[in-house]
Amino acid sequence: MVNFTIDEIRALMDRAPNIRNMSVIAHVDHGKSTLTDSLVSRAGIISAAKAGEQRFTDTRQDEQDRGITIKSTAISLYAHLPDEEDLKDIPQKVDGNEFLINLIDSPGHVDFSSEVTAALRVTDGALVVVDCIEGVCVQTETVLRQALGERIKPVVIVNKVDRALLELQVEKEELYQSFSRTIESVNVIISTYFDQALGDVQVYPNKGTVAFGSGLHGWAFTVRQFGSKYAKKFGVDKSKMTERLWGDSFFNPHTKKWTKNGEHEGKSLERAFNQFCLDPIFRIFNSCMKYKKEEVDALLGKLEIKLSADEKDLEGKALLKTVMRKFLPAADALLEMMVLHLPSPVTAQKYRAETLYEGPSDDPSCIAIRDCDPKADLMLYVSKMVPTSDKGRFYAFGRVFAGTVRSGLKVRIQGPNYTPGKKEDLFVKAIQRTILMMGRFIEPIDDVPAGNIVGLVGVDQFLLKSGTLTTNETAHNLKVMKFSVSPVVRRSVEVKNAQDLPKLVEGLKRLSKSDPCVLTYISDTGEHVVAGAGELHLEICLKDLEEDHAGVPLKISDPVVQYRESVGAKSSITALSKSPNKHNRLYVVAEPLGEEVSKDIEAGKIGPRDDFKARARILADEHGWDVTDARKIWCFGPDTNGANLVVDQTKAVQYLNEIKDSFVSGFQWATKEGPVGEEPMRSVRFNILDVTLHADAIHRGGGQIIPTARRVLYAATLLAEPSLLEPIFLVEIQVPEQAMGGIYGVLTRRRGHVFSEEQRPGTPLFNIKAYLPVNESFGFNADLRQGTSGQAFPQSVFDHWQILPGGNPLDPKTKPGEIVQAMRKRKGLKEVVPDVSNYYDKL
Amino acid sequence: MLYLIGLGLADETDITVKGLDIVKRASRVYLEAYTSILLVEKEKLESFYGRDVILADREMVESSSDEILAGADTSDIAFLVVGDPFGATTHSDLVLRARELNIPTRNIPNASILNAIGATGLQLYNFGQTVSMVFFTETWKPSSFYDRVKENRSIGLHTLILLDIKVKEPTLESLARGKPVYEPPRYMTAAQCASQMLTTEEDRMENVYGSGSLAVAVARLGSNDQKIVAGTLAQISTVDMGKPLHSLILLGNRVHDLEKDFIRNFAVDVHSFDEAWKGLVSKP
Repeated sequence: MVNFTIDEIRALMDRAPNIRNMSVIAHVDHGKSTLTDSLVSRAGIISAAKAGEQRFTDTRQDEQDRGITIKSTAISLYAHLPDEEDLKDIPQKVDGNEFLINLIDSPGHVDFSSEVTAALRVTDGALVVVDCIEGVCVQTETVLRQALGERIKPVVIVNKVDRALLELQVEKEELYQSFSRTIESVNVIISTYFDQALGDVQVYPNKGTVAFGSGLHGWAFTVRQFGSKYAKKFGVDKSKMTERLWGDSFFNPHTKKWTKNGEHEGKSLERAFNQFCLDPIFRIFNSCMKYKKEEVDALLGKLEIKLSADEKDLEGKALLKTVMRKFLPAADALLEMMVLHLPSPVTAQKYRAETLYEGPSDDPSCIAIRDCDPKADLMLYVSKMVPTSDKGRFYAFGRVFAGTVRSGLKVRIQGPNYTPGKKEDLFVKAIQRTILMMGRFIEPIDDVPAGNIVGLVGVDQFLLKSGTLTTNETAHNLKVMKFSVSPVVRRSVEVKNAQDLPKLVEGLKRLSKSDPCVLTYISDTGEHVVAGAGELHLEICLKDLEEDHAGVPLKISDPVVQYRESVGAKSSITALSKSPNKHNRLYVVAEPLGEEVSKDIEAGKIGPRDDFKARARILADEHGWDVTDARKIWCFGPDTNGANLVVDQTKAVQYLNEIKDSFVSGFQWATKEGPVGEEPMRSVRFNILDVTLHADAIHRGGGQIIPTARRVLYAATLLAEPSLLEPIFLVEIQVPEQAMGGIYGVLTRRRGHVFSEEQRPGTPLFNIKAYLPVNESFGFNADLRQGTSGQAFPQSVFDHWQILPGGNPLDPKTKPGEIVQAMRKRKGLKEVVPDVSNYYDKL
Repeated sequence: MLYLIGLGLADETDITVKGLDIVKRASRVYLEAYTSILLVEKEKLESFYGRDVILADREMVESSSDEILAGADTSDIAFLVVGDPFGATTHSDLVLRARELNIPTRNIPNASILNAIGATGLQLYNFGQTVSMVFFTETWKPSSFYDRVKENRSIGLHTLILLDIKVKEPTLESLARGKPVYEPPRYMTAAQCASQMLTTEEDRMENVYGSGSLAVAVARLGSNDQKIVAGTLAQISTVDMGKPLHSLILLGNRVHDLEKDFIRNFAVDVHSFDEAWKGLVSKP
């Protein structure tokens, strides 16, 4: 633990080329937090008195109890490269040999991946942790994909090597093969999401971008480390040596030469990696675990490791841990890897600026971000809110991309719905205080320059979850984060004692602020609804709500799934609706938008804020749209960015633009609450074919057009074979062979089906991937544990929407019809879906 | 029989003798209260007619016309409209619906702003298309009226501008949510209209008119305290015309000297009026 004063940290902050902002990401239980601990205990910048507990970054009681991370936590580390030679290996500008590393430990469980999204936004690099036995899992892939989408450069650590050695007792070559398979599968994902601007970011052990180790035992190494050790010993070039220590490279002891050929006169040679890197480790493991005291002593002498008298008395695992920690301290390997291979803010913001900023890439704000300029106008992104000890207040947590933020600075607080030049979602307020956030501690700091991560006091009242802070009046927003999970599971809550209601309302507000992904609202029937990404996420949220945010006893309903309303065909006839005064007529047809386009909209590839020409290009080239249509998209909805859209196909209608706003309002309303069961619509394209308008503006105001637009959209939908979409989870289950039968049984009972089944090479474990309707997923985990005597570990993540099979949702005799009826009953609507004649007007 | 009866412009006594006669014997009397308003309360009307009057707001007329027409085939229903029944296009729909139900209709005309505007001294022959001006919002500033004004002015005609009133209108936010919440009543003033017109000219920049263009503002036409003011648009945009209802006339350049003599009396400032007049008539 390094003891730093705030002034010393502040001095480090000014040297942007020597800052590394990084997140630790992985599948659940691959050992992120434990690894982070070994870094903190060595290099954490906080006074020693405050540190020392285990799982430093798991700050909550339930995190410690469950042994999983729920909230992401930031800490700052200090790294010092003693060897000036190493600085030359850094492929970017550096400023001295001291480094400040801001590290964010994020949750691995899929239900909390919105936390990962928030963490990735403020960092430039990622340490991807992969369990060497389980290999690349579903969440590893998800977070890697997220990281690459944000243009974040990955480095990898293959963790839990100790288990491979102690539990599985693998041989050297077998271990090498397992390592290289794991790295290969990581690289397959990386190359799938190749991004020109980021360049090739595949990882290679011989380039130093992969480390191997054990977070639990606190040791790790990179091939580069061994490379420099042996380079000194043999007196050869360091990089040449490192190259030779990975892959098909062998040292032939007979000829004393390096060779690519693994055989010498019929006998196989030992791989260089095995011989030079793994061998010392295997020997230590062997001698320690077999209690061969003399061998250990001899080894220690050879490796120049000194133990204290106490440590010498240790035996078995404890001795092994101590020796390995001294031999290959994890912090050294990891810090070196981060410093050498992860980008500094200066480097990263050059290529991230255009993906971070919504405005044009040549305006002053974007240029300031690109240059990471601390003297420019402030550009700061708040990625999440962190609860303070003061109940109901939050620290805004974010990253300074340009300028310098300081206490008392007057800033424009721009929410996600802010558009330049307008006053909506905009506040101009002073920042009360700027703070440093480290684990569970905070320290006040005067100001924080570009490239750093910061906490702000006094902003929480003006931002819901995230937003942009700037001092430039013309600045656009920094791009709103896209979450890979969506809140598809809902439960309604009510208070047990009526007088507690105000506390519940306040608590819901706080809950919504404290979690990037949770959704809280009041339904039309007056219920308070909380929606989350999955059962676990919702459970944690409701627990927080009950115990912390509201602090009153609650009654919680059974989980309810959100459906989507869609259409299966083009409207059978053109829908027509007349305005109340009958002087305005709207003609619209609905048709399916197509799954590809809908997914692109949901992924943010196509959106309302794109340049319309660029958007038309994508739609025409990738989705076969007519270019004229593609250029005439009026709007997206619901919430202005949903996967439904309106295309203007009218010809020469005068003053059409004067009703556009009203029509859009009606569209937003209609797509938010569809005609079948007032569920949101998805994947519907509405074409406006013709419009008849009154000549005078007074007769075609919002009062006339908004309700008419809604009616005509409803009519068009009901005429186009309406259908109900249900959310489907992708479930990944890791299970030993003998328990597989149980999984199939449980899945079949729940309308699930397996679509992939792979054995992990070298293990008896199988990776099973299946689709499971969210509606059938409640209690799935418990059921599965029972069906497999606790041997299966499922991870479910929302994957796609799928038509609810079984017939017409308008017919109450079908299964979808029953669901619609129950849904309408719950919402307090008429149980029968209103007929199209309620919305369709005759000419 | 459905009778559409014009009430005239100002107070309860503007109704025609024929109209009053029908009101007295009709089985139900509706007062349409959203396209325009009388300058007196409904109670005053009731005491003058000696009977109850049902207030019909926009929703009732547009969405539940059946209620109004109920029984009209056997008895007489009176539908009172401020001004002339067909002064605006709105009520033709009611007549159409009555026809569909085979209900005979009759029309009792009365004075409307469209003819009463002659009181300003501007000749009714020289008016072009009538336009209306809505309340602008942050995002909705329809400028279709600008094209009408342009057409009128291109052949030298005056333009009568009717001003938006919101007697019982749902707010736009509430419309989008489907549960109407009503705004408090609002009536556009001549000053606001003039400044909105200038805003539109700034946006469109087609030089149809400008802050120096001559206009005449009228308020409460036909009542005892009617007010007429002439001046440039800039002057009108600051003038206080008092209580509603207001209207505005933008002058064309095909003017007669007699018109000048008449409206010069209403000028805010005689000197600047003369200047502006010179500018108006010297225009090609």
